Amino acid sequence: MAELEVRVVSARREGLLIELGRVINEYGHVLVRQRLVPDVQGACLTLVLRGPDERQLALEAALGSHPRVISFECMRTPGGAMPSSTAAPVAELAPLIQPELSLAVGADAARVERMLPNLAKDYPRIFPWLINLEYAVAAEARDASLHLAGRRTGAWVYKRDFAFGARLALNDAIKRIALPALRVLVSVEQHGDQLHVRGCPLCQPGSLSGGRFFCGFIEGVLAESVDAVTLSVRESSCHSQGAPTCVFDITH
Amino acid sequence: MQEMHQHYNMLLVVLSYLVSVLGSFTALQIALGIPLARSGKQRLTSIVAAGAAMGGGAIWAMHFIAMLACNLGVQVTYDMVLTGVSALLAIVACSLGLAIVGSGTFRFVNLLFAGVLMGLGVAGMHYLGMMAMLTSAQVSYDGGVVVLSVAIAVIASMAALWLAFNLRGRWQMLGSALVMGVAVCGMHYTGMGALQLSEGDTLPAGFDQGLRGEYLGLVIFGLVALMLVLSLGISLVRQQRRAGLSI
Repeated sequence: MAELEVRVVSARREGLLIELGRVINEYGHVLVRQRLVPDVQGACLTLVLRGPDERQLALEAALGSHPRVISFECMRTPGGAMPSSTAAPVAELAPLIQPELSLAVGADAARVERMLPNLAKDYPRIFPWLINLEYAVAAEARDASLHLAGRRTGAWVYKRDFAFGARLALNDAIKRIALPALRVLVSVEQHGDQLHVRGCPLCQPGSLSGGRFFCGFIEGVLAESVDAVTLSVRESSCHSQGAPTCVFDITH
Repeated sequence: MQEMHQHYNMLLVVLSYLVSVLGSFTALQIALGIPLARSGKQRLTSIVAAGAAMGGGAIWAMHFIAMLACNLGVQVTYDMVLTGVSALLAIVACSLGLAIVGSGTFRFVNLLFAGVLMGLGVAGMHYLGMMAMLTSAQVSYDGGVVVLSVAIAVIASMAALWLAFNLRGRWQMLGSALVMGVAVCGMHYTGMGALQLSEGDTLPAGFDQGLRGEYLGLVIFGLVALMLVLSLGISLVRQQRRAGLSI
């Protein structure tokens, strides 16, 4: 059971807690504490939640894409659960909390959610599903949806194949976790803190880049394995724009 | 005084290595759960269970199989209290070592502390186990070879822990268990090389009450069977969890 702190901003405060509470309940989580304060955009609701690890990302996606949510932040407490009787107030928790990697706000979370079980079933032959997703979602939700699918897939692969062992330095984590995890999907090489993907099926020349999937995948697979508070992955060059390889820069 | 020589049953020597590998494999399987523990109680349970498998299985059981493999040309029994203390020492040292290396991020300084603790645990168990030996022979050691045996235990323990916590994939546990087996056996047989026995004429006090080989054999059999069951059980549970992970 992990504990999460979620901050959402909404235009109206009325009924916000009830509506989000339904979503929280639906994903098997319980509300430990909550605080609702006025915000320039309407209301800011801070929630501390507890629930099963395996449903956490799905919950984040559902809350992030909720129609009443204008902005969404999620942080995870290191080490997991704390008994509620000894739990500190939300404000006091802040220094203990590490920022969760940014969730792809704007993703078509419902469609991604429906696709994910197929992705798991056919893994590692997942590219037909991802290409299908690219076409199925609205153009403005495409990148965020690919990123979300990548994050979820990466986190799942990490838990399945790489979770046992100590947290590693970034370079070691790339070499021992991200690289072998990606090799199952594509041809990839490590150059320092960069990963070079050759012949990426989602980034064909002349088409749109599918690099956001790999950004999410690398973030998902490394998020819990590295000794870093924050981690971000950026695609610095893409095969779809004529580069020989897609290059992903990993920083923390 | 006439010097005495050791003769080994090679089948039991090979068996002693296999038991140390099995014990290490079981211990490391449990120890890899230490960084994933969600509560203090879970963490403590993992540490103690891993330490018990390493200290009791990989080190203690291996030592006494190796002692059964060794024919010293004289009758031997073992002091029960010292034998028990030697097992406890190995378990405590290994638990501390695994707790250090399993905490937080993998750092060289943690590896160094943990390797030294586990190496000293292996060596401490061995020499305490040798002190528990009740025999009419006079026992002495070659100091240089003793130091070498401790160094082997420390260095090989560090290598095994590095492999276990740093690597991922199929060699993570098997590779580290094979290397930990080298640490334990390398230390033991080098330590036995340091042993110098000469004939004596009086049996020490408590010789008749000491543990005999056949009883030790039974205890070791029980330990090995327990480790096999644990190892298999952990593998099955992990396989099931892996299959049941939702994306």
